[in-house]
Amino acid sequence: MKLLTANRLHDGLTVWYSGAGWVEDGAQAAALADDVAETLLAEWKLRETEVVAPYLIPLTDRGAPVQREHVREFVRANGPTIGQTADALSKAFNRADIFEN
Amino acid sequence: MYVYDTFDHAFTRDRIREFSDQVARRLSGELTEDQFKPLRLMNGLYLQLHAYMLRIAVPYGVLSSRQMRKLAHIARTYDRDFGHFTTRQNLQFNWIRLADAPKILEELAEVEMHSLQTSGNCIRNTTTDQFAGAARDEHADPRPWAELIRQWSSNHPEFSFLPRKFKIAITGADRDRAAIRVHDIGLHIKPQGFDVYVGGGMGRTPSLGHCIRTGLPGEHLLSYLEAALRVYNRYGRRDNSFKARIKILVAALGPEEYKRQVEEEWARMDRARVDAPQAEIDRLKTFFPDPTFNTAAFDEAAFERARTADAAFARWIRNNTHPHKRDDHVSVTISLKPTGLPPGDASSAQMDLMADVADDYAYGELRVTHEQNIVLPHVAKNDLYALYTRLDAVNLSTANAGKITDMITCPGLDYCSLANARSIPLSQEISQRFEDANLTDRIGDLQIKISGCINACGHHHVGHIGILGVDKQGIEFYQILLGGRADEKAALGQITGKGLPAEAVPAAIERVVQLYLKLRTHDNERFIDTLERVGRDAFAEALHEPA
Amino acid sequence: MNLPKPNSSYEPALVTRAGEVIPNAWQLLVDEDTTGAEGPYVLGFERALRDLDGLNGHYGVRVNPGDDVRLLEPFLDRITLIEVAFPGYRDGRGYSTARILREDLGYIGAIRAVGDVLRDQLFIMMRCGFDEFLVKDKDPAGAIAAASQRFSTTYQGAADSARPVWALRHGIGA
Repeated sequence: MKLLTANRLHDGLTVWYSGAGWVEDGAQAAALADDVAETLLAEWKLRETEVVAPYLIPLTDRGAPVQREHVREFVRANGPTIGQTADALSKAFNRADIFEN
Repeated sequence: MYVYDTFDHAFTRDRIREFSDQVARRLSGELTEDQFKPLRLMNGLYLQLHAYMLRIAVPYGVLSSRQMRKLAHIARTYDRDFGHFTTRQNLQFNWIRLADAPKILEELAEVEMHSLQTSGNCIRNTTTDQFAGAARDEHADPRPWAELIRQWSSNHPEFSFLPRKFKIAITGADRDRAAIRVHDIGLHIKPQGFDVYVGGGMGRTPSLGHCIRTGLPGEHLLSYLEAALRVYNRYGRRDNSFKARIKILVAALGPEEYKRQVEEEWARMDRARVDAPQAEIDRLKTFFPDPTFNTAAFDEAAFERARTADAAFARWIRNNTHPHKRDDHVSVTISLKPTGLPPGDASSAQMDLMADVADDYAYGELRVTHEQNIVLPHVAKNDLYALYTRLDAVNLSTANAGKITDMITCPGLDYCSLANARSIPLSQEISQRFEDANLTDRIGDLQIKISGCINACGHHHVGHIGILGVDKQGIEFYQILLGGRADEKAALGQITGKGLPAEAVPAAIERVVQLYLKLRTHDNERFIDTLERVGRDAFAEALHEPA
Repeated sequence: MNLPKPNSSYEPALVTRAGEVIPNAWQLLVDEDTTGAEGPYVLGFERALRDLDGLNGHYGVRVNPGDDVRLLEPFLDRITLIEVAFPGYRDGRGYSTARILREDLGYIGAIRAVGDVLRDQLFIMMRCGFDEFLVKDKDPAGAIAAASQRFSTTYQGAADSARPVWALRHGIGA
């Protein structure tokens, strides 16, 4: 299973494919079957006026992302981990780790 | 400071119009992302981990109070109320909407600022000594020359698509506070002309610049730079971006051969076409006069009373002031490294306050330092206590300039899409461990520099203690380097042993520091002096083996 | 799905710095081709260095990034067109090539930018001495007009006639 993520062109914010469209809350990302994910990725790569740099995050059986990318994906999904820079987004969604569902 | 004339204003307006057009064409799909990327980078706009980041140029680190207020306004209006001062003496905002970028550039143009060439494979913001024009050990003011280079490099038709980015630093003082030996080109102004160093840099292949010319007359500075850049543009590697910096070319050719090619190019060049005339150099020099110094007699008795009554003030004076060319003035460092907050960050309220105190006590002038602090270059000693009191009210009185907690720290994986590991949380943990003011002062001058990846934005190669974040199977590890320095005795730090997990780093550094305190011959032998006297091995051992 | 159509997807058109769209009369010879009556021909760089000494008439030469254009110096009287190739628009070597031709070697024939030539490079290409552009754009003439008017101020001397700001400030070369 995979998650599809990108940055939105006009404001650059990290967005997630929910199955119906793009959302800012990573917890709403759809877990996609691999072949579906690949098809969607190919499609969205062409739609450059909407999102930039889409890519897939592989999920392990437990639903956690691959270890190699863990810290990076955690920070990207939740915002900076520290100080006055803590992202309002992660506070708004009040989620410590969106991948542990 | 430099004041735009009608030409400079026209250029900035034209540039904004050009970029606005490019943004509109990107949004409409006329430009692909691949085509747009170098164009937005040349206007300082990155796509980072969370959003677009806009890096605003602070030419050679010089800011007026009016410009600082504008930066505060942009932080409030277009971003999340704070900005981050960088090692290139610039400022970056982390959550900028692409569609807002042209509007922000228009706001900046109102105060004679821009974001031009703060990224991309072009000539970047020239950096210099934060105490330029004020320091006691300075023999030539680098700012007019930095402005000359700024103008020459702006929208340079030949050098807008170089193999890789290109950074120039310049100093006119005995002590090198501009790290010229770790720049693509470093310039040292001497009485007989410019010493030119080429091929320094950090990143994955750190190296120190080689001196290829001494005594270069200032009136030929631009043509010489043009020759140096042309050789690089033609022969620098383009097949591998990791090997594209000029240091790789200089190493491959050898400094002598590179120099020969530059001199040959320079000899063929129609210099009159390139070199600005002496009248222009003289014009630029007129923009950097001394302020009209407040010459009221220094009230030493009052100053001493305040210092005796307020130990924190006394400590701040000791650590955060720098000798000024006038006895009744000092330069003041406003530390952006308080315990518990990201190094280099300032809120809009703090920026406004810094602008206010600059107006009230520092002739309206501020500097951004490559150590990610702010400097007030000229402050009358009579005003120091009032200044300190106002800074203290907004958490800007941290008395740690040049000390172990005054770390250079890149944004790391908390913001940067290139990073392998986080830098800011680690710097917090280290600063908490050394929070005790007495301990910090006892340790004295010690520079820790942290980068979250091999690109070395946190200058880890030239930290007395350098820390490099790496990714080991998804876990953040940190390699420790010892013995680097960026000053006039520039040296590259060496990696010691295996990487450590984040939680082990503060204790390891504490062991190194304790060893230093034990080994130093007297209180004034600095960490780097002891390290160089004793050698790295003992310290490397202390790092990796708990005592 | 309504996919965007990038400007660069248009067929390249040859346009002069005056904004005139012109036909391309030149034919690029691959190395083993023989010259016939059809001409005029653009020779590859290596072939130009090898053959131009024995040829009469006027030829074009294709200069790729990495070719040292100074080697053409002995033959410049037989060259009326130099095509400077930009295989990727991020490769900036062609800008140095053009300036060396104009400012150092005194070449006065045509310099044409070919390859990945896009609207946003035209201004700096003009400054470096290019005068023909095989540009990918839906409106080549409009792209030239926009580039010509893009900047009223130039900070440096280059291969064009624009005076650097310091010359304007101090009344030099007026």
